Amino acid sequence: MAALREVLIFNSKCFRGVRSYFCSSPAFQYSSLSPNNASSNVQKLDFEESDTKRISKAMKSYMERAKIHDNFIKEQLHQYNIGKRHLANMMGKDPEFFTQHDVNEAIRYLFPSGLYDPRARPMMKHPDEIYPKRKAAEFDMNGRPFHSLFYTSKPNYYNLLHDLAVKFKQLDNHEDKMIYRGIQDQQASELFLFGTDWVSKESVESVLLESLTDSQYSNLIKTMERFAQHRYAVREKNFIMQFRHQLAAQTEIQKIPELMRDESNRPFTTFSARRKRSNATVKVIGEGTGLISINGEDILYFKRKQDKEQIIFPLEFCNMLGKVDVVATCEGVGMSGRVGSIRLAIAMCLRCFVDAETIERMRLAGLLSYDPRERERKKPGQPGAREKFTWKKR
Amino acid sequence: MIRTITNRFSWKFGRCLTQTCSITSDTSHCQNATALKVNQPTELKESELKEITNPLRFPDYFGVRNLFRLKDLFDAKVHYGHKDGTLHPNMKPYIFGSRLGHIIFDLDKTTELLQDALNFTAHIAYKGGIILFVSHYPQHTLTVENAAKEAGEYAHAREWDFHLLTNSEKIYKGVTRLPDLIIMVSTLNPQMQEHTAVRDAAKMCIPTIGIVDSNSNPNLITYPVPGNDDSPTAVQLYCNLFRDAILLGKSKKSEIPSS
Repeated sequence: MAALREVLIFNSKCFRGVRSYFCSSPAFQYSSLSPNNASSNVQKLDFEESDTKRISKAMKSYMERAKIHDNFIKEQLHQYNIGKRHLANMMGKDPEFFTQHDVNEAIRYLFPSGLYDPRARPMMKHPDEIYPKRKAAEFDMNGRPFHSLFYTSKPNYYNLLHDLAVKFKQLDNHEDKMIYRGIQDQQASELFLFGTDWVSKESVESVLLESLTDSQYSNLIKTMERFAQHRYAVREKNFIMQFRHQLAAQTEIQKIPELMRDESNRPFTTFSARRKRSNATVKVIGEGTGLISINGEDILYFKRKQDKEQIIFPLEFCNMLGKVDVVATCEGVGMSGRVGSIRLAIAMCLRCFVDAETIERMRLAGLLSYDPRERERKKPGQPGAREKFTWKKR
Repeated sequence: MIRTITNRFSWKFGRCLTQTCSITSDTSHCQNATALKVNQPTELKESELKEITNPLRFPDYFGVRNLFRLKDLFDAKVHYGHKDGTLHPNMKPYIFGSRLGHIIFDLDKTTELLQDALNFTAHIAYKGGIILFVSHYPQHTLTVENAAKEAGEYAHAREWDFHLLTNSEKIYKGVTRLPDLIIMVSTLNPQMQEHTAVRDAAKMCIPTIGIVDSNSNPNLITYPVPGNDDSPTAVQLYCNLFRDAILLGKSKKSEIPSS
């Protein structure tokens, strides 16, 4: 920021010869009716005042504010350096080579805190990290703003909307060209948006350095959504992806373990899963013939039809029935718990054998998420978890 | 033909200047105007060198009258107004008549007023003033913003925050230089009421140029230009003209110090 201000001061020296038009100037107070007089007044402005240095009121006020802020930061930096030396002395280290990492360690050691939120614990950081960055001056010495949308009061936000509109037009032109050439076979591709979501209002604000209202944010998202649905939106994929972030659940599922090889060089993977009070460990072996073994028995280990279907479902969903072998061991209480845990474990194992698109389909089908439902406890004063005794009037 | 042009320059701090200069010119013929422009410097040879470079002495110093012809306005559908019933009484002097229930503007008057407006724009640009394009018509946002960017000036073609001009210190978080000229590409907002900028610019003594359609009020506009403000072709034409006028003014400005 200091460097920028130097540049500005340098500019002010450069601009010294240029008359700033709308600064207070006594010559403008005269009003003259004859054109000759008027013109001579204007000439006076143009040539006589060119020698004096003129800065617009806007710039002057900005420079005052910046000076106050700079002094404040300077003071904070001074105090930070003193604090750092103290800490170094207390820890018995050389103050000259005391880094921020050492500062953090020292604070943790000297001021132990049991507070849960890391931001609530004592800390000492460089002032640049603590105090938010300010926008630099948005106008030059004459008070002329740099940004063409400055007067909207949210230039970065509206510039983003402007860029979007320009890109939209480019895509439309491209589409026209394609139709003109008779090329229409390109599929509308929206697949790359799977597993991601639009970035939050806060992160948009931090990028734009402007605070947005809720309606402005929703406007932006609506526009982005329309843009992303364009037939040729894939061409602007990089631009769109700047405004999307990975979903948390998705990132968890994307951590797919490596396939391992057994003695006979067949690929396999294992997974342990739980459901209700059961847990199961499943080994799925590739290049198989569809054998299913559960605790040493085949699928008839489960008597009910529904349980058997539960085991088959993930394999059928991924089209892997008859292509992989499944070896499962399960223990615990109840058949549906056991079968549920095996189903989840099989589905998790199958991630290694299928492509990303199928994994996403599995996620949407609910195959990859843990079923948290458990037996609800019995309550006193009633016969079951929810059931009540029959009401009888005394 | 003697014409009187009255330009009102005004500033935020209540300082007003009224310049009245009588200029001899013939507005109906561009050729004559250019001929005058060539002739005048020779008359002024005796006076000081400074006088020659004063653009206010010329009726059309920047040549903005050559930017367009009446036919261009007609082709861009500038003459179409709104329906008869919506006619604003103050727009009566500028209309030619009505056809099939729609107002038709008198393009002769429009041409003259548009030329004045362009001339004023070029003068402001020449003096280094800040020019703000204002519109609140979603369909024309891109056109207006592009024109402002190309001209190196400023645009506000979005929702107008109240008190943007009257409480600028709060809105822009600090003392800010306000625009010196506001060009209203459309003087109505989407609710078909008068745009807040028209009233606020008048309050802050900022001169305005406004494209006024048959249903808008030209009273508070310094340089009203009667014409169609809805058709994309017309808006594109206005934007191009004002952009070119600004660029002409700026190019003259860059010529002066070198000569």
